[in-house]
Amino acid sequence: MPESKLKLLVIYTLAIVACFIVVFPIAWLVVSSFKTMFQIFQIPPQLIFQPTLDNYQRLFFGGQLMNAFTNSLIVSAITVTVSLVLAVPAAYSLSRLNNAVGRNVGFWIISVRMAPAFAVIVPYFIIMYYLKLIDTIWAVAITYLVFAIPFTTWLLKITFEELPKELEESALIDGATKTAALFRVILPNAVPMIASASILTFVLAWNEFLMAFILTSRDARTVPVLITALSGTHKLDWPIMAAITTVSMIPAFLFITFVQRYLIKGLTMGAVKT
Amino acid sequence: MREEYKLLLPAVCVLAFLVAAPTFYLFYTSFLRWFLRDPTGPTFAGVENYVKLLQSSDFAISLTVTLIFSAASVTFSLLLGLGLALLFSEDLRGKRIMRTIIVLPIVLPPVVVGFTWKFLLSSEVGVIGAYFMRLIGLGNLSLLGDPTLALVSVIIADIWGKTPLPFLIFLAGLAGIPSIYYESAKIDGAGSWQIFRSITLPNMKKPIVVAAILRTIDAFNSFDVIFVMTKGGPGMATHTLPMLGWKVGFYYFDVGTASAIGVILLLIVMFLSMPLIRSISR
Amino acid sequence: MLGTVGGLVGGLAIGAAVGWLAKPEAAVRTVTQIVGEPGRTITTTVTQAAPTVERTVTQYVTAPPREKAKINVIAFAQGFAWPELFGPDGTTETDLLKRFEASENVDVTIEWGDEWAVREKVAADVTAQVGKYDIVLVGSDGAVQAYGYAGYLEPLDEYFKKYPQDYFDPNDVYPSFLDANRIEGTLYALPYYSFGPGVIYRRDLFEKYGAELPKDNWTTNDLEIAMEKILEGLRRDGITDVYPLTMRAGPGEEPTLDLAGFIYAYAGYPAWFEGGAIWPGEIRNKKAKPIFDSSDFEAGFRAFTDWAKKFGPPGISTHTWVDMMNTYAVGKAAILMPSAINGYAALGITQDENVKKYTRFMLTPFGPGKKRINSYWTFSLGINKFSKNKEAAWRVLTYLTGRKSMEAFAERTGWPNVTMRSVLYSYPLIKKYGIEEIEHNERSVLENPAIYFPYIPELDLFMDKIGTTASEVVAGAKTVEVALSELQKWATDLMTSRGYYT
Repeated sequence: MPESKLKLLVIYTLAIVACFIVVFPIAWLVVSSFKTMFQIFQIPPQLIFQPTLDNYQRLFFGGQLMNAFTNSLIVSAITVTVSLVLAVPAAYSLSRLNNAVGRNVGFWIISVRMAPAFAVIVPYFIIMYYLKLIDTIWAVAITYLVFAIPFTTWLLKITFEELPKELEESALIDGATKTAALFRVILPNAVPMIASASILTFVLAWNEFLMAFILTSRDARTVPVLITALSGTHKLDWPIMAAITTVSMIPAFLFITFVQRYLIKGLTMGAVKT
Repeated sequence: MREEYKLLLPAVCVLAFLVAAPTFYLFYTSFLRWFLRDPTGPTFAGVENYVKLLQSSDFAISLTVTLIFSAASVTFSLLLGLGLALLFSEDLRGKRIMRTIIVLPIVLPPVVVGFTWKFLLSSEVGVIGAYFMRLIGLGNLSLLGDPTLALVSVIIADIWGKTPLPFLIFLAGLAGIPSIYYESAKIDGAGSWQIFRSITLPNMKKPIVVAAILRTIDAFNSFDVIFVMTKGGPGMATHTLPMLGWKVGFYYFDVGTASAIGVILLLIVMFLSMPLIRSISR
Repeated sequence: MLGTVGGLVGGLAIGAAVGWLAKPEAAVRTVTQIVGEPGRTITTTVTQAAPTVERTVTQYVTAPPREKAKINVIAFAQGFAWPELFGPDGTTETDLLKRFEASENVDVTIEWGDEWAVREKVAADVTAQVGKYDIVLVGSDGAVQAYGYAGYLEPLDEYFKKYPQDYFDPNDVYPSFLDANRIEGTLYALPYYSFGPGVIYRRDLFEKYGAELPKDNWTTNDLEIAMEKILEGLRRDGITDVYPLTMRAGPGEEPTLDLAGFIYAYAGYPAWFEGGAIWPGEIRNKKAKPIFDSSDFEAGFRAFTDWAKKFGPPGISTHTWVDMMNTYAVGKAAILMPSAINGYAALGITQDENVKKYTRFMLTPFGPGKKRINSYWTFSLGINKFSKNKEAAWRVLTYLTGRKSMEAFAERTGWPNVTMRSVLYSYPLIKKYGIEEIEHNERSVLENPAIYFPYIPELDLFMDKIGTTASEVVAGAKTVEVALSELQKWATDLMTSRGYYT
């Protein structure tokens, strides 16, 4: 029917426009990585130009990129897994507790995340220094947990809250403990939100700069630290920054593509809620 | 009840352990007069730092800028996130690819987001700021040089970079609404707008509120993007509280005042979040 | 230990004796001296005169420290600073570095970061007093003063005498570059690359629009007239995206380096405090109040902001040195001043033929105060007071700022912004710029003082506030009068609260 065809057209147009607005700056960035500073700043912009692989060559020289990548991957992976492991049970219990304790603890958990980074970076530095964890990935990963746990806990808490009690009640009636009920029944229904939370936690851990910078020197440097160290303000090497960013988008891109499939409508949802 | 508490304990313990010392440090130092450049060390100063801050015009300006910036960035990123999530829950070809693309901005470190937009909007060398603006006859406007436009520009950069967060949360939230609801509504002959208002929105209330809180925290703490794009300028047009705190702490080396700024920021965000949280608590 | 010394001295003495005995007529004269701490350094000077060539060879033989000292350096400009030592990516251990490390028995690790980020790390290190970094990078526009007055940097004058070395010769360095790192006479850091003021301009644009070329004794009036002509000409040609002037007028402390130079030139002295006081002692004794709303200060301030608004690009109120440099590099400006080093940097990245062919350097013009517009900065390194290996750090420090490093810098960048006369007048630089431009660069360093603004512990705050104020005026958010009266009030409150006038 013409009406739904029109609607479809509108939807597709909007989607493409949205993608364009999002992609344009990123595409510009990727193209920049194949140009020299001078070429990038040409007005009118050069669409046809002499590309250069200089930036990438400099990047892969010396292996520090691989090192930073590995560090970032490990730190992000640790942050995601540990925060999930801790957040899932916490979120579940918060969603089932209907008392003041639950509400207060819930608020406290999210408030932990509200302190501005500049205000707490020095104490973290001092703590890590005396624990001799400076310049190890543990220092960074541990600090990230502070940001990741409240985040994941709350996202999962509201998801679990939407799941009716009948769901676990039927499992409990069958003799399962609350914990087992959690795993067997609740979790599978929260897969979309777990997926979103994982993506966001991974990305935010991958991207974080200030803590990573202060707490690392050379060995444990993550990708954002490397980006600013290489480009810096002393000559502001934008092409290099573009090159590293382009390369570092790839793992995150892959992760998102992979996890995305779980962002679909639930499996047993329909049957239970009625 | 006991089992719930047991499940809650690990997370709470880990968090408490990690934040106890820094929180104490933050509050404690805010009551000290402590200049790192002064070898005599810290002295107790009571509420002096707070009083001086509340009287300082730099603080007032930074606070205003932060409030405007956050309000705009949070509101629009939520609206856009919701719109995009609805858009991409529809049956579209290439949905998976497009959704991955839409999420890309948040993969970029904020510093890179800042530089990308800085160079794009530059009135001297930017594809948008120098080339495109002239093309459409607006060449005399400087996107980063005019105080008002600069604020708009940093807000846009922040929205661009952070919208994927509510987007992903809302995608998950929408996925959690049982299709039965929609099906029965359609059978009853409800129109799209009605469906949206009576089914989608109420079921999205919690994700929207949580996304709002998370975005508010982010926006109030936003530093890198603005610093890189305008350094707080022109003048103080984009000078936010985190920028003030950072400058006071790491540039002026005035630890006491910097901590006081940190505490104030923390309290503001808490104050704004409380009613939001209450609205979704049982 | 004594045995080794004895052996060395004995060996040299025997060698000297043999040489003396076996010498051809007045051909070889060997002198042995012991300087420095006993047992640590031995100096031998060998003078040899042959019929047509006189050659002096000085060798310093240093007994290396007993244990290998680990020296941590923190700096910015990875890949740009010392690539001959640390590789183009900043993390390689080059052979040159290894040789140095072996010769001094040190292990140098260098940590890089962005300028702002480095500041944070040093602050954290200093707060915790851990002394993690032995050598820190400081700029002469705030960091030297902040860290120096706070006592976080080692005073270095004694080190020249106590630990002689032949990397860094203070007599070869232009005195003003050392002065910039002195607080009330005490030296706190050694300069790596550094610059004095200058005007970088496009000769072709001047000639095209009939503007008088910059000359040695020109005035700010001349410059202004030239810029008017260029602006007029550009508009007549319908060119709206090229500007007569590119400067940095962004908020924060960075542009103040240049702005202070204007103040200095227009008033004839650093018109920040009464009587031009620049040392904390002076200010205290004379109770010198700030004079930011005086006509002396206003003259230079107004000139800077007026020129920025009238002759500069639209985004100038947020421009840092990077934007200033980029604008010139893409050919969008006729003049870059007064931190000419950024013009040389632009020359390095440009691919515009006109920029490459027609860029010239001239000394800055004289302001009404009979002084040239100034702009001075050194990229300096200092030793952390909490370092546990100060002597070893000193050797690393002098090497990093020494002659070889300066030569490598000049050769690699081609910028004439070196600290040593012998390097400035070296073949690669003379070849590139011609002797006249080299002389002008030297004169800009010799004729202009390094200290043209107050050297007080609160300098950071002033630099930041003044720069931000200027940015507000340039952006049109405030008038000069309002801005300066607010600045005056702020400064008076600050100095009073720090106890200067009690």
